[in-house]
Amino acid sequence: MLFWLIAEVVKILIVFAGLLLSAAYLTLLERKIAARIQNRMGPMEAGFHGLLQPIADGIKLFFKEDIIPSEANKFLFILAPILVVIPALTTFAVIPFGAPVKIMGHTVPLQITDVNIGILFILALTSLGVYGVVLGGWASNSKYSLLGGIRTAAQMVSYEIALVLSIVGIIMIAGDLSLSKIVSEQSHMWFIVYQPVGFLLYLVASTAEMNRVPFDIGEAEGEIVAGFHTEYSSMEFAFYFIGEYAQMVVNSAVIVTLFLGGWQGPFLPPVLWFLIKVFFVILIYLWFRWTYPRLRYDELMDLGWKFLLPLALANIIVTGFIMVLLKG
Amino acid sequence: MEALFYVFSFIAIFSALMVVTMRNPLTSALYLVLCFFALAGFYVLLDMQFLAVMQILVYAGAIMVLVVLVIMLLNISKIKSVKTDLHQKIIGIAISLVLLVEIIFYIAYGTTKKPTGIFTHSVIDKIGNTRVVGEFLFTKYMLSFEIASILLFVAIIGAYLFAKKKF
Repeated sequence: MLFWLIAEVVKILIVFAGLLLSAAYLTLLERKIAARIQNRMGPMEAGFHGLLQPIADGIKLFFKEDIIPSEANKFLFILAPILVVIPALTTFAVIPFGAPVKIMGHTVPLQITDVNIGILFILALTSLGVYGVVLGGWASNSKYSLLGGIRTAAQMVSYEIALVLSIVGIIMIAGDLSLSKIVSEQSHMWFIVYQPVGFLLYLVASTAEMNRVPFDIGEAEGEIVAGFHTEYSSMEFAFYFIGEYAQMVVNSAVIVTLFLGGWQGPFLPPVLWFLIKVFFVILIYLWFRWTYPRLRYDELMDLGWKFLLPLALANIIVTGFIMVLLKG
Repeated sequence: MEALFYVFSFIAIFSALMVVTMRNPLTSALYLVLCFFALAGFYVLLDMQFLAVMQILVYAGAIMVLVVLVIMLLNISKIKSVKTDLHQKIIGIAISLVLLVEIIFYIAYGTTKKPTGIFTHSVIDKIGNTRVVGEFLFTKYMLSFEIASILLFVAIIGAYLFAKKKF
């Protein structure tokens, strides 16, 4: 019992620290890749090739003056950025990030907790991410923030449906909602082979859920200053930033677990495989951002409701038919 | 486990009270979200993780987001004065009296019952309660499940027609 408790706490600490650190260093990776795509050098001053840049940014944000606009709802203004970070960090609790290891005769699964409804847990927490953005936009008492908040809410509610439906095919094939079972089902073949459409749908819909370019109408700089976080400064702003990048890590981890075989792979240790796969999915997200221009509001809604949603439904029906045909 | 039950009960009752007493509709809506979370906690304590997650996914994640969005769009930051009439008061008092009597009746005459049936804690742990819920929905409660789905379908078409009329 005591061993289990210690193992559990250690796992939580490792995951928590790892997520925060990777969120910080993703900012550097993003800037470096943006620079590469635009034929620049990116941050070069702090440390070797800008390696200390995230730390410098963190210190700067920490010591900045904390401005809360007058007439703003103070409590909600401070609560909103926290509401973005908490679901993003909590989601990782159900993701298996390595094969079970043996320590002193005990088998420790490398997953904080294996609930039997793992996928639904992830979806439920993803659906809560919208609150932080919407409340931040409302509590700032600024028109740009409010516009950004409303746009983001409409967008996230629309794309959530496609996001949820794109996973149903996986659940049908695996026959289980537990993530550790889904990973072990993929020991022969990754699910991306059976569900290529589902994979692409999830990739697009999750980009929209994170409000990243090309789906960033909620913070469109050219139109509404910076959208929902226009009025934010100092650590509250940093929280939005951490939340966004932590979400990106988590979404990549979900994609790896559901479609790319989780931690499974030959030769290298499982944890390393998991990290490599997550890194590549993150690269895809970054690549999206610096390749595509932002969608207009009506284009965005058309894509979500008239293209992704019917495609996701068709994917479920086709998957069902094929499963029945192969069985009989 | 029992301590957790009291924690969730306290949160649920406190947030439910705040929903009706808060003057700012947005704050009320957010307390309602908190209330849903406390209810989800009850479901987890009752070994019904599936219902708990659905509670959060559907109510907190979808319905309340729409409510919050509507409040923000209408920009009603404060209710200045609440209009009440006699009918409302009479109905309200009657309902709360009936509820009070019910609660007193349950506390006075209720007895604890042992759970019966084949789905014990260990069985549910093994097969997961999603499977149990799904099996029941598609065998024993098939008819009510289909009726509910048709109702929802009608509601979707209705919503579409109402939205279409404006243009």
